[in-house]
Amino acid sequence: MFLDMNLCIVNLNKHYTQYIRSTVHVLYMCAIAGLGGLVIKRELSTNKPLNVLEKIEQSLERLNEKMEVMIEIQKNGESQKPIGLPDAPLDVMTLLSMPDHLRKTAMVICRCNRATAEEISAQTSRARAVESAYLNQLVIMGYLKKERHGRKAYFFIDKEGQSP
Amino acid sequence: MSKIIAVHSYKGGTGKTLMSVNLAATFAKAGKKVCVFDLDFRAPSLFAILKAENSEFWLNDYLNNVYDINKVLVDLSSRLTGEGKFYAALANPGTEAIRDMSSKDRKWEMRALGRLLSLRETLLRDQKFDYIVFDTSPGLQYSSINAIVAADFVVVATTGDRSDVDGTKRMLNELYNLFEKKTGLVLNKVLDPTATAKKAEWSAKIKTNYHVPLLGILPCFCEILRAEGNLIFVQDKPDHPFTKIMGEMARKIENNEVN
Repeated sequence: MFLDMNLCIVNLNKHYTQYIRSTVHVLYMCAIAGLGGLVIKRELSTNKPLNVLEKIEQSLERLNEKMEVMIEIQKNGESQKPIGLPDAPLDVMTLLSMPDHLRKTAMVICRCNRATAEEISAQTSRARAVESAYLNQLVIMGYLKKERHGRKAYFFIDKEGQSP
Repeated sequence: MSKIIAVHSYKGGTGKTLMSVNLAATFAKAGKKVCVFDLDFRAPSLFAILKAENSEFWLNDYLNNVYDINKVLVDLSSRLTGEGKFYAALANPGTEAIRDMSSKDRKWEMRALGRLLSLRETLLRDQKFDYIVFDTSPGLQYSSINAIVAADFVVVATTGDRSDVDGTKRMLNELYNLFEKKTGLVLNKVLDPTATAKKAEWSAKIKTNYHVPLLGILPCFCEILRAEGNLIFVQDKPDHPFTKIMGEMARKIENNEVN
């Protein structure tokens, strides 16, 4: 009976994950179509150089990052949900209390000061998309800041702004 | 290759400072450019061992963002023979400074970690230092955990004392493993005179008990106690077995043979 209940919960979780993923996918596709249309319309009306594809790609990257964060949060359960600013700064005690997957990313950013997801992934030997998701999760948790320069997103520790 | 080496232990009195100074001096005597850092801010001792009591600038000032690291480094190369360079960054032994360092908050510790991590650029990359050796405070204190996070390799000093053995095991599991640190264990004050001869046997025993490789075995040498911290042993006693063991440990670290 206990086993059956567990199986039911596992199955429900699977369906729920699939449902979330397909919903996110649909939203994602709609956003791409809508965004692409808007950008093309605006670019054509203002007669600016047509960097449409580049802009769409940037928007896609942003959406991709957001989707990765959502999937990651879903995968790691409720406890990983970002809840605003952290109570503690990103010091060694915070690093010790983090789940292994986030600690690895946070330690590299501590060493680099400032890095892109690609630079982090080169040091952790994990996929860029995975690092991107973890970095964005750390941003949402309030431990990191994110800054865009053109097509690149840089992540860094805000040493002044963090609460003591 | 391990460039930043932290010497740490669970309990005090395990020989961390002795190992840090002599390991750094061994590298310097072999022609390397080395700096030893006193990160034991609650009980500074490097200034006394290296006879640099008159220092004006301290490591505390660097971590407090008051001075640049070059202002803090004391050149002690003249104390050693050979072509190498030997520097020290000393902790301030003044009571007020010790009190100040004990009352730092987490935000300060986070910045201190950043400053320790930046030594990789300022000293190793820009000034071509070969090694930085951190002499840490025992146990799980902020300054020692910061040193461990900033290091490439951790030398764990331990003795046969029951409480030390248990604490060291816990620390290896709950600290070094979480930070994925490369670690080598040094068994100090060993009373069995045949220990160094039976190295393979001891090595297997250490690996089973601690799950980390053995870096070296240091017998309990009366000459070290008699010296009362007045000697840089590897310099002043070049033919002593202790000097040979330190040389072997330095070679293992340099050739990445600790596994």
